[in-house]
Amino acid sequence: MKKKLKIGMIIAYVVLILYAVVSLFPFLWSAIVSLTPMRYTENGVTTGTDIMKWPPEINLFKWPPEFFGAPATGENYVQVFKITPYARWILNTIIYAALVTIGHLIFDALGGYAFARLRFPLRDLWFALFLATLMIPGHVTLIPNYNLMVRFGFVNTYYGLFLPKLTGVFGIFLMRQFFMGIPREMEEAARIDGASIIKTYFKVVLPISKPAISALAIYIFVGTWNDFLWPLLMTSRKEMFTLTVGLDFYRTSYYTYWQYMMAASIMMTIPMIIIFLIFQRQFIDTGVSSGVKG
Amino acid sequence: MKLNFKTREAMVGYLFAAPIIITILIFTIYPVFAGLYYSFTNYQPTEAQKFNMTFVPEESVSFHLGVFPDEEGLVKNELLSLFDPVTFLTLDMGVKLNAEQKEAVSSFLDTDKIVEDFLAGQLNSSVSVKDFMKEYMSSKSELFTRYVPEFVGLKNFREMFKDRYFWISLKNAFVYSIVVVPIQTLLAILLAVAANMKIMGQRFFKTVFFLPSISSSAAISMIFWLIYSKPGVLNRFLSTFGFQAVDWLNEPNTALGAIMVMNIWTTAGYFMITFLAALQSIPSSIYEASQLDGAKFWKTFWKITVPLLRPQMLFVSIMGIIGCLQVFDQIYFLIKNMRNITISYYIYKNAFEYHRMGYASAIAMVLFLIIFAITALQRKLIKEESYF
Repeated sequence: MKKKLKIGMIIAYVVLILYAVVSLFPFLWSAIVSLTPMRYTENGVTTGTDIMKWPPEINLFKWPPEFFGAPATGENYVQVFKITPYARWILNTIIYAALVTIGHLIFDALGGYAFARLRFPLRDLWFALFLATLMIPGHVTLIPNYNLMVRFGFVNTYYGLFLPKLTGVFGIFLMRQFFMGIPREMEEAARIDGASIIKTYFKVVLPISKPAISALAIYIFVGTWNDFLWPLLMTSRKEMFTLTVGLDFYRTSYYTYWQYMMAASIMMTIPMIIIFLIFQRQFIDTGVSSGVKG
Repeated sequence: MKLNFKTREAMVGYLFAAPIIITILIFTIYPVFAGLYYSFTNYQPTEAQKFNMTFVPEESVSFHLGVFPDEEGLVKNELLSLFDPVTFLTLDMGVKLNAEQKEAVSSFLDTDKIVEDFLAGQLNSSVSVKDFMKEYMSSKSELFTRYVPEFVGLKNFREMFKDRYFWISLKNAFVYSIVVVPIQTLLAILLAVAANMKIMGQRFFKTVFFLPSISSSAAISMIFWLIYSKPGVLNRFLSTFGFQAVDWLNEPNTALGAIMVMNIWTTAGYFMITFLAALQSIPSSIYEASQLDGAKFWKTFWKITVPLLRPQMLFVSIMGIIGCLQVFDQIYFLIKNMRNITISYYIYKNAFEYHRMGYASAIAMVLFLIIFAITALQRKLIKEESYF
């Protein structure tokens, strides 16, 4: 009996460790490549580094460590900023993600509250309509939305990027669900004290909604940071690219600048990893309640 | 005037809901109907742009008549007899015309005025087609200021059924979902079961497994582009076991499979969290009972764990199918072969590379119907589920 359990545990560890290696390997590999110099000089001879060399000749007991037989360097990370407007792309991505997140926080919370608590004419009809829009694939609305932005002259502007993304049905559902779960007593008490609905919302409801709001904020921020298709359509000028769109810049049909591409990939992933490590609990909670990633 | 509470509540309700209602109406509801309309037309954005194209009328007239404006001895009536409005627009201005526009041009283009201004040297500044036509059409100039796509009925849909790439891309999207969803679901359950045992470092494993799903599909695609490349690490690794190098992403037989593996890698850990949460809410007494019975692991797994996870499995697989049918980013970055494209990529290609938005919208409508059917099925299944 006991022996059997032990075997089970060993199998569990093997499965978990194996998959942890599988999960981490691509990140580690790209990090190693991003730290390998394009070429390096040894004994007065400069050669290109072969990042496809196998085995990769990793030596971590030296400083700087050696990958592919060449000493590690941060040079690729510097070059990324020089050969492409990477700083601008970071800025664009931050602006895009921040504006979209702020929009969601304000409007999803307001709307979620309205649909959870307030009675207004046609409320259920609107809600049913929202529910129905969940079935619409993004590619159906893509073309008309693109044309709309073209007509407004918003291509290559921040407006074009964030306007259509300012609120979303998913966030409204999340907030509505949350508001429906909080007890009514506090709001009723505030109202008996003579507070208006608006005042009750801002002074009583919002302060206790921090967990739901922060979970939504993180979810939306990460989703927008990683968004690719919409920025791809909305930006054609290099200066307006977001990080995801800019990534295609490090390869041509003839040649790929692997080191730069990996440095750029790693740099845009690190902020997300940091956010994830800080807000793990919220992530895993919304992950459970939403459960979708394209 | 003091409004009663009910009225005030309704007003505040609309005030709060207005931003969402407006946004959804403009950016979701309107586009659905616009897309439906486009799908019955030959909408081509390049056609819409052609009226904004600018040109120098003097050069076009000069080309058309074969004379220079400052030449000696030009006679207006002689030039007028040479002037053919339709060829002037189509060849010398470079504007494509449909039958209605051709007729309007031949009847209403004020050639007299054009030639007069040409001789007076007043046509030498750049102007848009739109403004030029406004100026020189005595009537019906609106045909050249607003682009109205032609209504073509079911032509797009008929074309679609004969379009090889439509079927290939649709088939690929289905194959993609049918392969990815069960494997990622099963893998996620296995990982969750393993992590649910009393093991050390559960938090570490959860974190590591979650990492791929918070990274952007763009970055992940590029990382796998490196791994899958012909001289890349995967081939080097496999060659130590004596395998031949394969150009994973360029070989039509392996490209889609390679992306499926990448997708499973991205999402399995994410869905594992869903299952782990569900497992942790299952009372452990159920397990202990089965273990006392001496039930084997797999038996427990299939007879107890899997049935208990049924609601989550249903949820994860339906969401997975809907997501997979729409897979785009990875295809955009990694697929270079038309034989391996999926339907959402084909929609994109038609709309934004071939500039055939009418046709692309028609394909999008078909995708809409498919997703709609799957969602309806999901609703039905979940309703049944709640009876248990």
